[in-house]
Parts: sequence; C-alpha cells; structure tokens
Amino acid sequence: MRKLILFVLACAALEGCASLGVQPWEREVLARDDMQLDTNALDTAFDDHIYFSKEGTSGGRGFGGGGCGCN
Amino acid sequence: MAGAASAAAAAGVTDMADKEMKIGAALAAATCSLLGTATPGVSIAADAEPKWDVESAFLYYGESDDRVNDLSLSAHATRDFGDERTLGLDLSVDSLTGASPSGAIASGGAQTFTSPSGRETYRTPAGEIPLDDTFLDTRFALNGSWSQPLARLYTVNAGLGFSSEYDYQHIGANFGLTRDFNQRNTTLSAALAYAQDTVKPVGGIPLPLAQMTDVVDDDVSPGNRGDGSDTKNVLDVLLGVTQVLGRHSVLRVNLSYSDSSGYLTDPYKILSVVDPVTGDLIGRTPAPGASGPTGVYLHESRPDSRRKEALYAELRHDFSGKVLQVGYRYSTDDWEVDSHTVESRLRLPFGSSSYLEPHVRYYQQTAASFYRYSLANVTPLPGFASADARLSEMNALTFGLKYGHVNAGGNEWNARLELYRQTAKAPNEVLIGNQIGNAQMPDFDAVILQFGYHFKL
Repeated sequence: MRKLILFVLACAALEGCASLGVQPWEREVLARDDMQLDTNALDTAFDDHIYFSKEGTSGGRGFGGGGCGCN
Repeated sequence: MAGAASAAAAAGVTDMADKEMKIGAALAAATCSLLGTATPGVSIAADAEPKWDVESAFLYYGESDDRVNDLSLSAHATRDFGDERTLGLDLSVDSLTGASPSGAIASGGAQTFTSPSGRETYRTPAGEIPLDDTFLDTRFALNGSWSQPLARLYTVNAGLGFSSEYDYQHIGANFGLTRDFNQRNTTLSAALAYAQDTVKPVGGIPLPLAQMTDVVDDDVSPGNRGDGSDTKNVLDVLLGVTQVLGRHSVLRVNLSYSDSSGYLTDPYKILSVVDPVTGDLIGRTPAPGASGPTGVYLHESRPDSRRKEALYAELRHDFSGKVLQVGYRYSTDDWEVDSHTVESRLRLPFGSSSYLEPHVRYYQQTAASFYRYSLANVTPLPGFASADARLSEMNALTFGLKYGHVNAGGNEWNARLELYRQTAKAPNEVLIGNQIGNAQMPDFDAVILQFGYHFKL
C-alpha cells in the first residue's frame, strides 16, 4: 500500500514537473561545472566513507557506501 | 572522420597487395569513425580534446586523544569515449592506525582486557574509556563503471567494485538506468547494487555474547570463537528524480532502500557486565598463572538483518555566480536508528580563477533498540546487545572550508579543512544505578585535511 502511494505521488510529481524547467537555450548557468550535482565527487566519496565508519546511518545520496570493515 | 582521411592517405602506396590491405584498413577506419568506436591498429590523427578527467587527492583524518588516524590517497578518473559513453575508474588506498573504543565502560579501577587476537592483553587506567589500540589496517579499493546512452533519452550504467583489507573483503556490482523527460528537464533514475562482503576477524568470529577469556597460547584457539570468517550481503535500491526548476536551480530527490543480511556484528566490540543495582563493573580474577580480563566482558551481538529506508533531497541554486547547495537526508531502519542530516555548501568565486567554499553539516540519530551502555548481570541475557557508541543517541557537527584555484592550463588544485565533533548520549533507560549522571561516552573531535588536484589529459 505504501509503495502504491509512493508510486502515485511520484506520478503526480512527474506531471507537476512538466510545467517546470527551461528551454535548451536557457541552460547556460545549469551547464556550468559548479552546477552539476556530482561535482566534488572525490570530496563526497571521502566524506561518505568517513561518516559511514563513524555514524549509524549511511547512503541516501547514493548507495549505502561500505565495502569496509569499519562499521 | 580524421581517422578515415589519414588511413586513406596512408593507402596511397604502389604495392598492390599492400594497397588492398591499406584500403581495408581505411574502410575499417572509416566505419569505425562513423560508428564512433576506436580503431585497433590504425593511428587516428591527434585530437586536441582531452579524453581523461582525473580528480586526485590526499587526505589526512585524525581524531583527538590519539584515536583513529587515516592517511588516504584516491583518484577518480573518467574517460570520455564520445557520444556520452564514459568509463569511470576509482582507486583508493587507506592506511589506518590508532585506538578505537571497545564498547567497555570506564571504571573506578584500572582494567585489563584480552586483545581481539586472544593472545595478549591491554590495560586501561582508572576512570578512562577503554580503547583498543591494536587497531591497524591498510585498505585498497578499486571501482570501475561504464555509462552510455541506450536509446534516445535513456542512459544505462553498470559498475563493479572490489576492496580488500586485512580482515575484510568486499565485492559489489551495480546497475542503473536513467530516462529524461520534459525536454530533459526531468530525469528519472533507478539503480540497483548488490554487495557480498567477507569478514575474517583477528582470532576468529566471537560467539554472540560470549565472555572474554584469558590469554591463550599461539597454537590454541580462544574458547569463545566460532568460525574463522562469515559473510554479509547488501542489496541497495535507489529511485531518483532530478528536476530543473529554472535557469538557476536544480533539485534532486532520492528514495532508497537497503537490505543487509548475514554477519552485521562488529567482532571487536564488547560490553561490560555490571551489578544490576549499583551499575558497577563485575570484577573477575584470571586463572592462576594466566593473564586475562579483570572484569566480565561479553562480545556484542547484533541481529543478522537490517532494512533501511532513506529520503534524500539536494538543491543547487546559482546567485549570480555564487552557488548554494543544500541537502537533507532522513533515514529510518528496523534497528530503530532514525537520523536527520542537514548539509550546506556555498561556493564563492573570487578573482578570475579562485573560489572559497564554506561547508556545514549537522547529523543526529536515535539509539538502536538493542543499544546498551552495559549489561546487567542477570539472566536471561537479551538476544541482541551492543555498546557501540555509533548505535547510541548521537549528534555530530562539521564545519569546513575549501579553497580552489584554476591555473592557466585549466587544471584545478584545492585544499580543504574540516572539523568534526561527535557527541553521543546513552539514553537514560539503559543506565543502571551509579551510571545515571556519570555515563562517559567516547566523544571525539576530528580534523580532516585534504589536498586535491583536478586535471585533464
């Protein structure tokens, strides 16, 4: 049931998203390196690894991290 | 088409047989150019565009009070094969030293413990939180991934990863699919990862809640151990939406589910056994002629499955060249560890080619249902118990600053400094007698110092 609600919400969100966004010629800022969601990939990987080994929760941004006996 | 041209030029020789071969090569080169694939054995005219994008960094992580120190070298390289086909390679080497909290509580008298190998002892002075200083490890990790368009608007990616350390091996695979909608303003992604890890602790796998024994000789196995190794499997599923909100904003939202099963216990963590009324450590005398623990300590025991669900949202917004990044994560699991994480970075360009980036992160979590500060000396014992502070109530704060500079060649070097402070709290309901108001948690501060160089080849 919970999954069905999530699915319906996702569809509604997708429908709502159709009114958002920009035209292809309006992407000058969005195309910049510092606007990419995966900039600083190495910083993120280091941080995820540190927090994975020191805190009780991991993942969310990407997979749960790990591959390490530190937790 | 440069490859076809050069190969065609090379074909202009007199010998007929040779000519036929060269024409064949030219046709192969032309076909490969059209298909956008590399041509084996045929040199393609120099292309000025860099193919490799490499981020490399050196990291130092150091905790207060001579606890864990980590030196790490990492490189993240991507190779662009054109037509949005990319190869990603990650390589990382870690060297860990220092002492780690064992889970035992501080006591009014000095305490002696048998080390994880079961072959020697270490001592903790009165009033101090016991730290196991036999902690030493080197870890190698390698990941490879491939990403390419599958059809119009679809991208597929797949990856493999390995890591190895003295007592732990990991192998994992992942697969993902994304689809663009709405003039590529909306991207939906789905990804799956599966990992199988092998834990091979020093001295063998301790039996759940087995008591720490006296030191044994090299040719004898400690009596409280089971098999030499065990495994853990992790399945991760991630669904994401990335949405362009306007010319200056982009939002990502992920829902993730993670299912871990197998050996999820920390083989090196123990619990102190205390008087059920006073909460004071129960003393113990080693056997005559033997050295061993001076208190009663049990190896921890965790459930063999854990299911986590998380919601993650990240927004990036450009304010006339300054970029604000705000992220939030909520995570919940069937161990009852619920957490909230809020994180923000602000990138402030200055001069023609430099930037400063302050960073702040706040984290808080609830305690796992089986978290115990210590165990009361009563029977029966609970099925699961851990005194690992990482499973207690906790909050943590990080402040950081990064400086980056892009040189004339377009490559960037950067440095960042982060300060991390973790504060844990044992919930009142797990404290016994004298522990109330006196519980000592292994809180710590850590410094993270990183130097990086980002270049193209």
